[in-house]
Amino acid sequence: MAETEVAITPSELPSAAENSYIIRPNFKDKFKPAIVKDAIQEVVTEHLKGKDYDPEQAPAWCKAITEAVKEKVKSLGMDRYKLAVNVVIGEQRGQGIKVGCRCFWDSDTDNYAQHLYMNESMFCLATAFGVFFY
Amino acid sequence: MDSEFAAGEDTAFVNDEISSIIKEAIEATIGGNTYQHNKVNQWTSNVVEQCLNQLTKLSKPFKYIVNCVIMQKNGAGLHMANSCYWDNATDGSCTVRWENKTMYCIVSIFGLAI
Repeated sequence: MAETEVAITPSELPSAAENSYIIRPNFKDKFKPAIVKDAIQEVVTEHLKGKDYDPEQAPAWCKAITEAVKEKVKSLGMDRYKLAVNVVIGEQRGQGIKVGCRCFWDSDTDNYAQHLYMNESMFCLATAFGVFFY
Repeated sequence: MDSEFAAGEDTAFVNDEISSIIKEAIEATIGGNTYQHNKVNQWTSNVVEQCLNQLTKLSKPFKYIVNCVIMQKNGAGLHMANSCYWDNATDGSCTVRWENKTMYCIVSIFGLAI
């Protein structure tokens, strides 16, 4: 008689179902504002360098920058972070503007990074928020 | 899926509710005021603070991000865009554009389920 018993070795079990018991990010996976800020700066400069404000094109730039920043930050390897990216482009005509932000979150794990780009005719403020998903 | 853990009305991000919170906060702080350089600091923080206060009172399992922009009107253009990487089923955002004769006020709120 041949053996009919089937054994499942641990390696065959779907690993996704296992609980990792990680409720805090390891340092290497953490949202690091300095690194994210550099990434934002790179993307924004790449998109707006040498350009003047143009009301026709600004909406498209705005959308393109949000998408590009999101993709860039995703590629930095912060696996368990949800991201929100906000970009404001405005024309410079000597008007006053004030941007304020406040968050209700876990300051141990969650953070944000911000970069302001300015030239003679416009300013662009890009902010990325990273919220840890438990 | 009718599991008992499915997001119901009381644990979901309800857009109408949030947008009325924002409008109330703006009306209460800015209302019919004209743009004053030395007041904007206080206005932005007031609007953001009041929104967050009301949001926490909803006692829903969310983390919130509240962003407020106030700009003086003088014919200059302003564009704003958001892009998010999250769980569409549970998380949400709400943006309100408000203006009077002398300024624009744009508030966006992101709610991220815990």
